[in-house]
Amino acid sequence: MIKLKGMYDSMLRCIISEDMDASDFSKEFDEVRGKGRRFLPGAKVVLDFGARPLSEGLIRDIMTDLIWPAGMYVAAWITYDAATQDLLKRIGLPTSEPAPSVRANERAAGGALFLQRSLRSGQRVEHSGDVIVAGHVNDGAEILAGGHVTVLGRLSGLVHAGYNGDETASVVVRSLEARQVRIGTKIGSLDRDERWWGKMVIVRVNEGSVFIDYWPMIKSDSRDESAG
Amino acid sequence: MTARVIVVTSGKGGVGKTTATANLAAALANMGKRVVAVDGDVGLRNLDVIMGLENRIVYTLIDALEGTCRLNQTFIRDKRIENLFMIPTAQSRTKDAVTAEQMIEVCGELRKEFDYVLIDSPAGIEAGFRNSAAGADEALVVTTPEVSAVRDADRIIGLLESMDKSPIRLIVNRIRPHMVKKGDMLGVSDVLDILAIDLIGMVPDDEAVVTSSNKGEPLVLSQSTPAGIAFRNIASRIEGKDVPFMNLDATDSGGLFGIIRRAILGH
Repeated sequence: MIKLKGMYDSMLRCIISEDMDASDFSKEFDEVRGKGRRFLPGAKVVLDFGARPLSEGLIRDIMTDLIWPAGMYVAAWITYDAATQDLLKRIGLPTSEPAPSVRANERAAGGALFLQRSLRSGQRVEHSGDVIVAGHVNDGAEILAGGHVTVLGRLSGLVHAGYNGDETASVVVRSLEARQVRIGTKIGSLDRDERWWGKMVIVRVNEGSVFIDYWPMIKSDSRDESAG
Repeated sequence: MTARVIVVTSGKGGVGKTTATANLAAALANMGKRVVAVDGDVGLRNLDVIMGLENRIVYTLIDALEGTCRLNQTFIRDKRIENLFMIPTAQSRTKDAVTAEQMIEVCGELRKEFDYVLIDSPAGIEAGFRNSAAGADEALVVTTPEVSAVRDADRIIGLLESMDKSPIRLIVNRIRPHMVKKGDMLGVSDVLDILAIDLIGMVPDDEAVVTSSNKGEPLVLSQSTPAGIAFRNIASRIEGKDVPFMNLDATDSGGLFGIIRRAILGH
């Protein structure tokens, strides 16, 4: 059985059930092409095979009997079978789940979340906009924000600003005591003996790396120092 | 009688929950209160050993819940203090043998007969902890001055807050003042800064705890050891008395001077 489902970024997910018999493939392909006559041409599709192993012959059949006649564009070939993953990579086909793209208006749409308390270990806050914490973020607590994060107390836990890939997001902290800060797809790490530890700082991404600077910004020669 | 039901918990294992439960139960009973200590650690019971009552177990809490006996048949009266009781749990079962509803019901029944119900919670944040905390009004969180224990305590406090336990108070156990002085151990103020809850007691690291738990004699009864005094003070604070915090430097200096100082000043 082959199912088509909608995904983010108007992508489609084509789920090829693991227990479907290999002899049914060509019949099922015909059915999918028939059903998707209107929307499949030009569509971005993720092919999801579950744990099914694929042979070179089967991959060729999928291309000639489904992908090319349907006119669709395959964004990823997903399978949990390690040998198949290797095979797909050798052929040069994409095997990783496509990342959702960031929409410019998304951050504004989320608004800001104001937390008038401390976050304790194990507590997790996820918000699509900016997050402001009027308290501490303790070791073991997590904040995931689509936008900027401001911690008015001590940050010992994990903050991920711009979690959907937005690297213009920043993290402002009254006392930085976290070993790691994440922005967009970048991770910055910090040791306890570095001079930023326990200081009031702003963390940002600059030219692809995570940078720390004093906040409020002080004019100094230290601006280009990397967090690691 | 309407008992105060207090859960003693920590998140991390091995920080002294059971020792604290046994000693506080004994100290409160010594102050004339009718106290029962309940072992909430199904499958890994220890409270009976630390209270020295292991060879007197006939029925356990699980037997009462399964209808094999009545709840009051599970009570084991302490051999030294008349108004101190313990309810053991089963060693041969797992945490699934009890539900939160059953614990609430048990606590409800115990409330009628005692002044204090102290529940020794298992380590962890799963069913065992939740069951132990379910029937309690108040919580005592035990931690040691170590980063890992403090983080786990923070986690537990978050859970207790979401369960509306109040007050939630902190016992900092196994403090070594000379290490704190050298900066090799977190101080109590560091711990309080992170956890931001009320401190009810500081207990110094004391070898006597090991001997007393092996002998099954709560410290508060037998000797004037620093940890024993600390637990007695905590019991008084639970009772609402304003007892000044112990000067841990004095206990740490040990030797003759420390003993004299304690004998004269009482702390």
